[in-house]
Amino acid sequence: MMNMMRNEDLPQVQTRSKITAKNVQVFYGTTHAIKDLSIDIPDKNVTAFIGPSGCGKSTFLRCLNRMNDTISSCRVEGQIAIDGEDIYDPRVDPVQLRAKVGMVFQKPNPFPKSIYDNVAYGPKIHGLARNKAEIDAIVEGSLRKAALWNEVKDRLAAAGTGLSGGQQQRLCIARAIATSPEVLLMDEPCSALDPIATAQVEELIDELRSQFSVVIVTHSMQQAARVSQRTAMFHLGVIAEEGPTDKMFTNPDDKRTQDYITGRYG
Amino acid sequence: MPAAHTVTSYDDELRWLARRLSEMGGIGEGMVADAVTALVNADTGLAQRVISEDVLLDTAEREIYEKAVLVIAKRQPMASDLREIIGSIRIASDLERVGDLGKNIAKRVIAVHTMPQPKKLVRGLEHLAELALTQLKEVLDAFATRSPELANSIRERDEEIDAIYTSLFRELLTYMMEDPRNITACTHLLFCAKNIERIGDHATNIAETVYYVATGDQFASERPKDDDTVNVIATVPGV
Repeated sequence: MMNMMRNEDLPQVQTRSKITAKNVQVFYGTTHAIKDLSIDIPDKNVTAFIGPSGCGKSTFLRCLNRMNDTISSCRVEGQIAIDGEDIYDPRVDPVQLRAKVGMVFQKPNPFPKSIYDNVAYGPKIHGLARNKAEIDAIVEGSLRKAALWNEVKDRLAAAGTGLSGGQQQRLCIARAIATSPEVLLMDEPCSALDPIATAQVEELIDELRSQFSVVIVTHSMQQAARVSQRTAMFHLGVIAEEGPTDKMFTNPDDKRTQDYITGRYG
Repeated sequence: MPAAHTVTSYDDELRWLARRLSEMGGIGEGMVADAVTALVNADTGLAQRVISEDVLLDTAEREIYEKAVLVIAKRQPMASDLREIIGSIRIASDLERVGDLGKNIAKRVIAVHTMPQPKKLVRGLEHLAELALTQLKEVLDAFATRSPELANSIRERDEEIDAIYTSLFRELLTYMMEDPRNITACTHLLFCAKNIERIGDHATNIAETVYYVATGDQFASERPKDDDTVNVIATVPGV
């Protein structure tokens, strides 16, 4: 019950914008997937992207750490800035950017390595630790933050892929936060998890938001209502409505939001 | 009503709640009207029937609660659907109270008729009941049509009921002072008048719920609700 009350107990913290997107356009070949989209995403809050399949929410999420760069037919226009710095500036190294903007995917995708190495990999390649002791500390700290430490501390050398689905997803979250990111992007992080693992990940999201700006794409309206402080409703490549989560799910202004969240869409 | 849900059985469930509520409204209206008629005509048979009908409202209220809880569990409703279901629970509880108040009037019929009633008093009570019943009928229409405008006008009119109730209160006090033998009947009539005034308040509650269901907002201002009888003092002649 305490978990359910979180949204009300801890109202949205008013903070500056962490991410500012202005007039963003995304094309896949000739398909115009995101149309002139602008949004401010606050720091130290969870922002949920909801909307029907194909509305552009995952595409836009992937723009925020330049994951779309890997798709050759994809073209991104407009401006996306994190802390005021344009992330599409040619001088920005996408690999450095992705250390700062972590991502967790729909299906848990641990590396075929040990639990320890899954978490240690990022800090190692980014040179975030000078010696074994520092890496050990990062691995333990990240696994603790991901609420996985107690379950795996005695078998850190075991394969990450041998964990249960929920544990694998928390391992991926530990991996994503090991590089001390400032933004955490989550693309349907619970869709492959059972309700208990889902609750654990949601509890984790709630804790992580004190340190990160979290952006989550979810198809579960209830999940968006539970974990986020702000919600953006995507529809056909535009944001139909964006506002405080409490209002979006009780009294939305836009008919498309109303129809979608009440199950009247299409 | 908004467009249909993709899942049609969801719409069936919401329609069931609305239909059951309007049935409750019809029963409640009938009970109050009959109770007042029984009071005016000293018809104890009719009063008995009103008393026995109350169980229908109790049952309906329970059924609406159970169905609403089930729909919330099954559908996890959002936005206007959620407001409608929560509204149904609230309105059912107001209508159940209306039934209780009607039943209470019916129960007093015998005691009131232990002595003859001044015609003027009974007419005053009838008028009060007409107003309260109009409010109740219109608020049920407002719910059926989800009309925030109608809900608003009903809420505004509650003042009229309060004013008539206050004047009845004064009259009853006067009769009691004139002749102590009037006290028993007049006290019962006072409770009947208070019950009717309370029915008006429940209509106002329902109007507020309808407004919230329809708009997602609460009424902006405090409701015009003043019980002026709190200030009425009986001055005994010659004292």
